[in-house]
Amino acid sequence: MEMVIVAPPTPGRLEDLRRRFFATPLQTLLSLISLAIMVFVVWKLLNWAIFSAVFTTSGGPEACQAAAGACWSVIAARWRIILFGLYPFEEQWRSALACIAVVVMTVLSCIPAFWTGRRIALVWGTGAGLYYVLMKGGVLGLPHVGEEAWGGLALTLFIFVTTCLIGFPLAICLALLRRSDLPWISRTTGLIIDGVRSLPLISILFTFAVVLPFALPQWMVGDKLYRVIFGSALFFSAYQAEIVRGGMQGVPKGQEEAAMALGMSYWQRIGRILLPQAMRNALPATINQFVISFKETSLVVIVGFFEILASGNAAYGTGEWRFAYVEVYAFIAMIYFVFVFSLSRYGAFLERRMSVGER
Amino acid sequence: MNSTQSPGAAVHIEDLDKYYGSFHALRKINLCVQRGEKVVVCGPSGSGKSTMIRCINRLEQHDGGRITVLGTELNDDVGNIDGIRREVGMVFQHFNLFPHMSVLENCMIAPMMVRKRPRAEAEATARGYLEKVRIPEQAMKFPGQLSGGQQQRVAIARALCMQPQLMLFDEPTSALDPEMIAEVLDVMVTLASEGMTMICVTHEMGFARRVADRVVFMDGGEIVEEAPPAEFFTSCRSERTRQFLSQVLGH
Repeated sequence: MEMVIVAPPTPGRLEDLRRRFFATPLQTLLSLISLAIMVFVVWKLLNWAIFSAVFTTSGGPEACQAAAGACWSVIAARWRIILFGLYPFEEQWRSALACIAVVVMTVLSCIPAFWTGRRIALVWGTGAGLYYVLMKGGVLGLPHVGEEAWGGLALTLFIFVTTCLIGFPLAICLALLRRSDLPWISRTTGLIIDGVRSLPLISILFTFAVVLPFALPQWMVGDKLYRVIFGSALFFSAYQAEIVRGGMQGVPKGQEEAAMALGMSYWQRIGRILLPQAMRNALPATINQFVISFKETSLVVIVGFFEILASGNAAYGTGEWRFAYVEVYAFIAMIYFVFVFSLSRYGAFLERRMSVGER
Repeated sequence: MNSTQSPGAAVHIEDLDKYYGSFHALRKINLCVQRGEKVVVCGPSGSGKSTMIRCINRLEQHDGGRITVLGTELNDDVGNIDGIRREVGMVFQHFNLFPHMSVLENCMIAPMMVRKRPRAEAEATARGYLEKVRIPEQAMKFPGQLSGGQQQRVAIARALCMQPQLMLFDEPTSALDPEMIAEVLDVMVTLASEGMTMICVTHEMGFARRVADRVVFMDGGEIVEEAPPAEFFTSCRSERTRQFLSQVLGH
């Protein structure tokens, strides 16, 4: 006798669809209703955003108001304010270049080939220098533009990147101090971290911007922008320190013992054994913290800086484009989305890359 | 055997005391290990044997007595501690390989960072020792991709790459599946036959019989008995030792 083994038939696409959504009359009804709602919403959205929208500035605001769809002409007319804020009109190419410099620097420092001390220092040094010279001017024949005039996307990126650049090393220092063997050091650090974490970011920004100048000697005050950045970096580092500490707790004790037994010094153990593994554990939470910080840059508006959201308000807030706020916010949301989404995709890439050693 | 100070001693422990809080983990331990000597330390769990060898490279800090390793006294002097750790290799029960580095990098990192060897030299040394522990073909893999026995052999190679004068083994086969114990013990036997000074905490009595110059039995934080293996296994003096041996050898 010949045995014939028959595999259970795998359902085809259509059959699968039928089983999932149209198995009973009630299910069929619900599925059809949901489908109708989805089609309706998507059609409305597309109609508003594309088919009935106005894209050119030729007709001015009047043509826009007459149209049924979105008024993208407001972006065409006001994109410079959104991206560059109050930065002088003739100099805005500098702000654009500065944005590109920051983005290029960030992208480069995300590439594993640049992860050596010298290369990363070179990338950051060049990027930060370029940004500062381009934005501030006063040299190489570039007219001087004070920090109070910086704004828009350029300012948002600057605050975000400097917050992370200062806050991240600070967070690692705090996390290391918190696990110190000396109780008075670990307790004090814990107190500082918990203290900063229990204050709202707005109050910290306000304190650094407005109150600090009265408390500090003149030479330490510096420009308001840098005080605000320092405040936001401090806030970032308090949260990130706890994330790093959590990551460190996930590294088995034997790892450090093995490194000790090999004669490695404290800093070698921290730098080569403990932190790489701790950061791998802490990566998802770290990316989360970066995303939150990016979006929290919009809070600097309360101490008088026109980052991208505030610049957007200014773009529709005056005169003839007053009605087109939805379009402006949609545009800004797109910009936030591009940055935050690439950040989280990069996080996913890192997780894949770092799990090479597991399995 | 003797426990008196001699200039050639690799490890000399005098009146060692160690407390965990109020728990007296080691009580007045005296032990002297000569260069080239192989000492096996055994005893029931909680007897302090691991604690004792962890004191030798200061993974545990001792509370009383003196420990002299390779002529240097272990005290709070960080330079002394680092100097001793450079010359003393250690193999752990749970391997403790660095999971984020390849096998080769595991073996290269300490010679490069601690001994400041150039990369090419460190790599040549590492490949040499991986050959010696019979896994040269695994050099580019990560520890997580190896079996327990292979990982432990990498850990031995990693310690040897520092070219230590003394090797400490802290229950190197206790976490291994039975079929992998032999491959690790083989490497240790080879090492012993080449004249390495070794202190092994282990329950492998066959290994003790084969390579040990001396077997030390600990219980309750004390050294109860120490003797050459032939004597130790046939005519031990203490009741506790006899009981332990009957449990270990009984099956």
